[in-house]
Amino acid sequence: MTASSSSRRRFVRNAAGTTALALIPYQGRPAHAGTSEAAVPFEPVFFTPAELEFLSAACERIFPQDDLGPGAVALGVPFFIDRQMDTPYGKGELWYLSGPFHEGPPQLGYQLPFAPRDLYRKGIAAADAYARQRRGRKFSGLSANDQIDLLTAFEGGGVQFPELNARMFFEQLRRNTLEGVFADPVYGGNRAMQGWTLLGFPGARADFMDWVDQNGAPYPFGPVSLARQPL
Amino acid sequence: MKKPGCLALLATLFLFPAAAQAAPEKETQLIEKGRYLAAASDCAACHTHDSRHPYAGGNPFLLPIGTLYAPNITPDRKAGIGDYTEADFSNALRRGIGKGGKPLYPAMPFPSYARMSDADIHALWAYFHNDVAPDPASVPANKIPWPLSMRWPMTLWRIAFAPTPAEARKSAERHFPSQETARGAYLVEGPGHCGACHTPRAITFQEKALSSDGNDLYLSGGAAVDGWTPVNLRQDNRTGLGRWREEDIVAFLETGRNLHGSAFGGMTDAIVHGTQHLTDQDLRAIAHYLKTSLPARKGEAPWTYDPAVAKALQQGTLPDKGARLYVDRCAACHRTDGHGYAPAFPPLAGNPVVMNPDPGSLILIVLRGSTLPPTEQAPSPFTMPGFASLMSDRDVAEVVTFIRRSWGNNARVVTQDDVRTFRKHNGQWIDDKPPSPMNRASSPRENAP
Ligand code: HEC
Ligand code: HEC
Ligand code: HEC
Repeated sequence: MTASSSSRRRFVRNAAGTTALALIPYQGRPAHAGTSEAAVPFEPVFFTPAELEFLSAACERIFPQDDLGPGAVALGVPFFIDRQMDTPYGKGELWYLSGPFHEGPPQLGYQLPFAPRDLYRKGIAAADAYARQRRGRKFSGLSANDQIDLLTAFEGGGVQFPELNARMFFEQLRRNTLEGVFADPVYGGNRAMQGWTLLGFPGARADFMDWVDQNGAPYPFGPVSLARQPL
Repeated sequence: MKKPGCLALLATLFLFPAAAQAAPEKETQLIEKGRYLAAASDCAACHTHDSRHPYAGGNPFLLPIGTLYAPNITPDRKAGIGDYTEADFSNALRRGIGKGGKPLYPAMPFPSYARMSDADIHALWAYFHNDVAPDPASVPANKIPWPLSMRWPMTLWRIAFAPTPAEARKSAERHFPSQETARGAYLVEGPGHCGACHTPRAITFQEKALSSDGNDLYLSGGAAVDGWTPVNLRQDNRTGLGRWREEDIVAFLETGRNLHGSAFGGMTDAIVHGTQHLTDQDLRAIAHYLKTSLPARKGEAPWTYDPAVAKALQQGTLPDKGARLYVDRCAACHRTDGHGYAPAFPPLAGNPVVMNPDPGSLILIVLRGSTLPPTEQAPSPFTMPGFASLMSDRDVAEVVTFIRRSWGNNARVVTQDDVRTFRKHNGQWIDDKPPSPMNRASSPRENAP
């Protein structure tokens, strides 16, 4: 968590450039993913208002708004994760959650009895308590730099929450945040496909037959969602 | 060498029982003939609503006057037609008169069945009476309010518009250029009742022609059934079967698909319950007969492929919003050149269905989607998703116009108003989701036993 946000963002962008096709932004749509959108308020189905405050602050630090495009909040990631926690995945119905539990090498797999939604409930409470204890305020009340310090500490593995290592919580949050940025907008995040526009990713097209033998030609069509297109 | 002796012994072993069973075998042959004719007549499309209850009826017919349910025609005494005599059965099929003189609605295609020969009716009777299992399932009461529920006007209708069996037989036995044409005409105009869907009807609901002997309106395209428009089957180049070869028609009727198009709507039932069970010889006769017709519309310019749009799309140019929607939503299966991946995903270029004057089926298939039915010879179902939740009326109009204007199709533009009007009158068919691997139980008819 030490790299500056825009260089990390550039990394995301360059990673896309390594694919065989040269992807350029869709004609007629701005190359810039747009930065001015505000978060759209919503009624959470899983998180409490206090938890949502934490979630919004934390995922915005993980995928911040910058001069290249919108951040996690404007992309609808808190909404995405809230709805995600209401799915069989969020409820842990897709995971093996029974014992025996053994600390060990990663290939032994997940070693906690907690579903993703439990990781959030316990993790957010513990993270806010940690913030109050170390910095005197709940997480969302801290400056961006303080928030980054705390998240960096969680990521490092050195912080132990009462029921789990803070790193487990951080990894869950990081993974779901990126899913919310890049999953199809039909699931609530990646608003207006701006996450994809940042990458030049064409979305749910499943068809490049016309382009396989046009070597080196730029692919001109922008992204398509499973949801209704914003036009 | 002992061989000749062995053969003689074998011969007596096999021949003797065969001789003894001659009578039942004749009966079996008759029943098999009846089973075949039941398929050729598509009885199951209307009288089997739930495949676990063959011929137990229950299929709803939404008529302007109310809802009519196809009756149970199994030999069950109470629920079905167990107390029918062969004469009663023949009267129902060929004259539209149920037991005790009850006039039947022409939803039962007796004006076509009237052409069927005595021998064929006898075989059908043997099959329904002796082989179909009695099923006590009863059918919902018709929902037709009085006084429209009175049946006597149907007698007047029949006298005015339905042929008597004698008249129908005379037309069926008219002169044909060959045996094969005669057989094809019999199957199409009689048991196959293809005209019930494919021939336009008058305001009083009778088909405007019951045979190709009548006039050029026969099989020139009918009114929509459940939202789907039966197309012109005459030899028109663009909107008919003018560019289909006999083999193409045979493949379509046998497998529901060919290199020109795929079956959907009511044609699915006609193929699944009906034509796929016919012999190659009979299918060839049907195809041969259909190819003898004249075009219904005079002077339709022949369709030729126009590559302009495909070239533009392949270079990344999108001429209009319809093109954009097509590239985004349709081209993965139907391809930018409109050739599709036939016979899996049908071509839209040159497809008569796409150029049909009435665009209703196109609007419906885009809104609702459709599943190409599996048949014995082509067991893969292919599904087109519906786009009702993704596209506005305007989007649907634009994309349908795009497929109608591109690749040389040059058919009439479809407007937002056309789509809105269609939606207003066909809501129930749009919501009637096609069966798909994700959505199996949507149609009781598709539930395997
Ligand atoms: C296009 C749909 C359709 C097809 C095909 C069809 N039927 Fe019917 N049939 C009906 C309907 C609807 C009725 C009820 C009519 C009424 O109540 O007036 C009916 C009525 C009947 C009746 C009269 C039953 C009674 O209650 O009196 C018999 C018998 C019958 N059909 C047999 C057959 C046979 C045998 C076949 C195939 C050779 C067949 N039908 C094909 C729709 C169809
Ligand atoms: C996933 C593949 C797929 C996509 C995407 C798709 N279709 Fe289809 N389409 C099919 C299949 C399969 C059929 C045959 C359906 C049947 O026979 O029931 C079909 C049939 C049709 C037909 C009728 C042609 C015929 O002969 O059966 C039309 C018209 C059509 N599609 C238009 C469209 C349009 C317009 C779009 C985009 C809005 C579209 N399709 C998107 C697979 C697809
Ligand atoms: C229940 C109504 C119905 C009946 C009965 C019916 N059809 Fe169809 N048929 C349709 C519809 C609707 C279409 C248009 C959709 C499609 O292409 O599958 C169609 C299409 C066709 C096509 C493809 C035409 C094209 O240009 O794509 C052929 C061939 C055809 N029918 C032949 C027949 C024959 C032969 C019979 C009689 C054995 C028959 N149909 C009976 C409703 C029906």
